Amino acid sequence: MSTWTWDLVHRTTYTYPQDVTDSYGRTVLTPRDLPGQRRLAHTVDVSPTPADLVEEVDYFGNVTTYFVVTAPHRRLVVTARSQVEVTRTVPALADLPTTAWDDAAAGAPDLTVREMLLPSAQVAPDAAVRAFADGLFTPGRPLREVVTDLSHTIATTLTYQTGSTTVHTTQAELLAQGTGVCQDYAHLAIAALRAHGVPARYVSGYLETRPHPDRDKLRGADASHAWFSVWLPGYGWWDVDPTNDQTVDCRYVVLGWGRDYDDVPPLRGVVFTEGTGSTLEVAVDLVPTGTDPYL
Amino acid sequence: MTDLLSSPVLGELRPDWSWLDGSAPDPQVLADARQSTQTLLADHGVTYAGDDRWRLDPAPVIVQADEWRALERGLVQRSQLLDAVLGDLYGARRLLADTLLPPLVVLSHPGFVRAVDQVRLPWAQPRQLVLAATDVVRDSAGVWCAVSDRTQAASGAGYAMEDRRVVAQVLAGPYRQAPIARLGPFFHALRVALHDVAPGCDGSGGPRADGPCADGPRADGPRAVLLTDGPDSATAFDQAYLAAMLGLPLVQGSDLVVRSGRLWMRGLEGPEPVDVVLRRVDAHWCDPLDLVRESRIGVPGLVRAVRAGTVSVVNPLGASVLESPALAAYLPRLAREVLGTDLELGSAPTWWCGDPVHLSHVLARLDDLVLVPSSGPCVAGAALDTASRDRLVDQVRAEPWAWTAQEPAGPADTNQGPAAAVLRTFAVAHDESYQVMAGGLARVWSASDAPPTDTHEPAPSLVGPPLSAVHPVPSSGALRLRATHAPSQGRPVAKDVWVLTADRLAPDDESGPVHETNERGPAGLSPRTAENLYWMGRYAERAEAQTRLLRAVVDRWDDYHTAPRSPGGQALHVLLRAVVHHDDANPATLRDLVHDATAPRSVAFATDALARAAQGVRDQLSTDTFGPLARIDRALAEPDQDVAPDGADPSDRVAALVREGTGATSGLRPVLDTVLESLLAVAGIAAEGLVRDAGWRFLDAGRRIERAQHIVDTLASTTVRAGPPEVDRLVSEAVLEVHESTITHRRRYPTTATVPALLDLLVHDDTNPRSLAFSTARLREDLQAVPSRRTDRPDHLLRDVAGLETELDAVVADSVSVGGRRERLAESLGSMSWRLEAAHDEIERLHFQHTAPQRTQTDLWGRPNVIFGGGE
Repeated sequence: MSTWTWDLVHRTTYTYPQDVTDSYGRTVLTPRDLPGQRRLAHTVDVSPTPADLVEEVDYFGNVTTYFVVTAPHRRLVVTARSQVEVTRTVPALADLPTTAWDDAAAGAPDLTVREMLLPSAQVAPDAAVRAFADGLFTPGRPLREVVTDLSHTIATTLTYQTGSTTVHTTQAELLAQGTGVCQDYAHLAIAALRAHGVPARYVSGYLETRPHPDRDKLRGADASHAWFSVWLPGYGWWDVDPTNDQTVDCRYVVLGWGRDYDDVPPLRGVVFTEGTGSTLEVAVDLVPTGTDPYL
Repeated sequence: MTDLLSSPVLGELRPDWSWLDGSAPDPQVLADARQSTQTLLADHGVTYAGDDRWRLDPAPVIVQADEWRALERGLVQRSQLLDAVLGDLYGARRLLADTLLPPLVVLSHPGFVRAVDQVRLPWAQPRQLVLAATDVVRDSAGVWCAVSDRTQAASGAGYAMEDRRVVAQVLAGPYRQAPIARLGPFFHALRVALHDVAPGCDGSGGPRADGPCADGPRADGPRAVLLTDGPDSATAFDQAYLAAMLGLPLVQGSDLVVRSGRLWMRGLEGPEPVDVVLRRVDAHWCDPLDLVRESRIGVPGLVRAVRAGTVSVVNPLGASVLESPALAAYLPRLAREVLGTDLELGSAPTWWCGDPVHLSHVLARLDDLVLVPSSGPCVAGAALDTASRDRLVDQVRAEPWAWTAQEPAGPADTNQGPAAAVLRTFAVAHDESYQVMAGGLARVWSASDAPPTDTHEPAPSLVGPPLSAVHPVPSSGALRLRATHAPSQGRPVAKDVWVLTADRLAPDDESGPVHETNERGPAGLSPRTAENLYWMGRYAERAEAQTRLLRAVVDRWDDYHTAPRSPGGQALHVLLRAVVHHDDANPATLRDLVHDATAPRSVAFATDALARAAQGVRDQLSTDTFGPLARIDRALAEPDQDVAPDGADPSDRVAALVREGTGATSGLRPVLDTVLESLLAVAGIAAEGLVRDAGWRFLDAGRRIERAQHIVDTLASTTVRAGPPEVDRLVSEAVLEVHESTITHRRRYPTTATVPALLDLLVHDDTNPRSLAFSTARLREDLQAVPSRRTDRPDHLLRDVAGLETELDAVVADSVSVGGRRERLAESLGSMSWRLEAAHDEIERLHFQHTAPQRTQTDLWGRPNVIFGGGE
């Protein structure tokens, strides 16, 4: 087991054409304390200085921050800084239980697992999803195999394309167009699993991006990432990243989880302004502790 | 006539009137009462779903004392049970087990609001359910049976009270003889509950030392508001009526703001703390930050304030989970588990499809059952053809947890008389128990109406009885009994419910809303309300001014329109210029200027706007205000059989009007008279029936500035062009008449009317309430009396208005310049008009703060490092 310590900066900057008089926001930008992941330090800074800022724990146990800015402004900057120690053990596939997928639902013990069986705001297991995934779910097949196969199928079926989907894109639309982003990959996997009675949830977090061997790492060019977690009886929640078709390891930092993206967007908000539209810049920097500070 | 709700007599479905000394009321008495009911409802402005009139049959539902006691006991027990379940679902979730309440019943229900998990109401009683409404029917055996529970934001208590007021009046004889239980105690209990549930108040209403209220309990007691989804809500009347009855400000989401972790109401002088919100907005729409993003009727941050315990929302935001139709299947065993007793008021047999055993039972008996999804319309199995039946089965199998099936309750024989009758009951947490309204809102659907549906309609709606309250009639081809009713079709008729009581009654009568205005000084008036009152004043005055002007035209029409060159004809032409404003769209006829609500200068346009403004501030007004408004509506709604003039040149509208001919004004005079009388009644109620608080000041300010503007406009269009002396005289006489100053003029000036005399009376005379000097002085007085949150600006506005008064002196009377125009008068009036507009703008800026539009922050979806979001 190895220990990794990460320095994490996530800065979101909104620029508005006219004054914003009131800005209400909620973040899910604080890494969770978990077995295999420990938060060593964390701050959320909001500029202009908020009139109210409070940290709360949500229904799913995620740490969220609520803030209100009441000073008129044309630029809102939300900066989350964390230092996280990750000691996650990646299970070898052969060590995972061989429970069949069709028995997985029956074994769901508690409410937090059972509620991940249900459709949610952004995950609708419909006919298109079934058509896509039914072939993977042959009777009696071990769930661990179904999941790795599902991850691989999604990774090879979809083409990653930034900006090709929005928060409103459905899984049926995603399959029709064949392109999406990591949130879509995760949602599709969750939809396929729930359609077959297997509890699955959405995980929000980060993945370290490795530079090309010949070049220096481009700082701030990391990004929010998302994957899914499946309930494996006899093991528990197993995190799999369908975008990169791999199991989640020590290079991943978990922020939080929910039924889908809608439960844990990194930042959401309501603003009051006469102006329409805004410019959004996101910079994420995930580097091993000890690297020169980015921001 | 059959009666599905009243206590039966000898097994017959007809009301028992035997408690009356004589027998049932004479049919003629009931017929008369029905007639009077229509008039009273119109006069009280009782609406449902927009402009539709509330439908009420005064023949009451009568329930015998002993029978009611049993129902009441059942309702109290049911409320206690629902309360215990609610407390558990957002707390320990001990009941959420397959052996008691299957978890997916709750977890899959849209009313389970995760954002308020573990939130408790901060009051002494360990209770979470403050208000419960339960719809009950009589089943085929005549036994009361619950068909649905309304815990989200149940409507109807206000209608029930209004129904009682009307019926007590139109059936005064029987009502006085009968020992009828009063509705008042329920509303009293509700007031007490809303007080006690405030943070920092224990059950006795005293301050609690460790109260979570950040700035400590206030000396003036907790403040509660009623949060409405707006004047366009189907039940806007119900909401405003309830607010007035409870003495609560009626507020919209935009009137509220969350700051420093607590809720505030925007007030004229700045934010005022709010402790309790009685909501009529469905939970999901209450906070666009933490609940539905698209909501524009909520308050961002409300969930944060609720979680901090600084405000109590009634019912709590998570309460609508109790509306899950599946719950009925588990209430009997929950009652035994939680209360240790059997459930007294049960439901028709219910099965939750999420349970595999139940599911197979449901699929086997589909034809006998009604299927209720957790959202959307319900489906009667019997009404399905084979194909749609198969589709339904697939749907149910795909998401079994989302479906519940119920045996139809209610009377089996619906061949005659009403098809369904539902009684909505109300209970409020009181002391250690619940207080049930002694009566309720009965709704009856007649057999000829379209098949009713929508069991689980959105909460504020009162359309459609629960489908399970009727036996569906098999009909081939009908896929879904989806409500497609036209306004008058499928709409129930309401009935008052008379609970006979053995108790001695208090002598007091049922009284409607109490107008305790501003117990706490200027508080309770939002800028939005102030603005509505101001516009109400403006439109009332505008309607009156235009009515008087048109009346003057109508009176002269027949005598003069055929002789355009006579002095009378020329004077008429001048008056028409005043009627038709220069920047108007083209009004076709004089009749349009009275009746056509789409013509901006018409009487109907102004009275419509007046009625809308009044609806928006209904909680501030005496109910008497709506009688005259209803009369205006009736007068102007008269059929319009006018033929548009042909060949009218739009470039000369006045000429077009003149060409209308002799019939143009027929029948208009009585309409205008009725309208004017009613407008004067509105003005009288405002002058004599309202406390001189900030709200009244805005109402009056609107009236004064509108009157001033009207005087200036009329003078500009009638006196600037100097005509021959005889024409000027006729015009001046008419203008005096329009401004109700004829008698004063006769007393003051021995001579015939002249322009200088006219200006003296209508401009300078500060004792004449119809003068410019009087109007501006009153305007200044009003504006001095209203509070403002900005200390720098009021002086500026008042200086502007004072400047108006100085300007009056400069109005030069009778200088006729070349070309027959009184140029200096024109200049003075022009400048005055401009200054009035500036004052109006300043009033808007200063007092009616408009918050910037609410927008959703662009989402971080995807991984773009730079994107250009559209925002919303």
